[in-house]
Amino acid sequence: MAIRVQIPAPLRSLTGGAGEVEVEASSITGLIEALDAKHKGLKDRLCDPSGELRSYVRLFVNEEDIRFLNDAQTALKAGDTVAIVPAIAGGS
Amino acid sequence: MRLPKSAVEAMLAHAREGYPFEVCGVFLGGSGSARVEAAKPVVNRETESPRVRYQIAPEDLIRIQREAREQGLEILGYYHSHPDHPARPSETDRRVAAGGLSDGVYHVVVGVEKGERALPTAWVFRDATQAFEEEPLEVE
Repeated sequence: MAIRVQIPAPLRSLTGGAGEVEVEASSITGLIEALDAKHKGLKDRLCDPSGELRSYVRLFVNEEDIRFLNDAQTALKAGDTVAIVPAIAGGS
Repeated sequence: MRLPKSAVEAMLAHAREGYPFEVCGVFLGGSGSARVEAAKPVVNRETESPRVRYQIAPEDLIRIQREAREQGLEILGYYHSHPDHPARPSETDRRVAAGGLSDGVYHVVVGVEKGERALPTAWVFRDATQAFEEEPLEVE
């Protein structure tokens, strides 16, 4: 099942400059593995050493935050679009 | 990084109007470009300490990202204000950038003194050094 994945600029050095890639996956967990198989190093940027999504990284499926779906177990179907979005925060 | 004068003026006005709270926004431009087309204000979603913290909700970012893509643009970077604090990234800014996806992303910090004098400085975060490097800010 082809899933479109939107890649933010800071990760494009790992996708040959592509802002969007396609992978086959039926869940978010599978998607991250499939992304890493095609673009080595992506999993390390998205997940911490225990495999959990990093706290400053958010994933959206068709603009729905996976935290409000089924987290990493969120199911995917052909035609879905997954966006990788950074969490932006800071202060003085 | 290069910004049109109108974008700089909009950003500084936003920072002054938001004083004494931090304000934030995004820069839109062509993919891979160092030239910003527009500065777009975003709601500061920080609820506990908005005088010294800012937070851009991912829900806001994804909407802005979609709207930008529809115009052939994308998010090149971000700005936020430091009310009565120096116009340079704080340790909090550095820590968040280091923990996220910020390599090569532009950040402008606007120092706002007593709600009047607003001074912008530009920076780019580098994963290799885990630090912000100051960047010339060219106004067109």
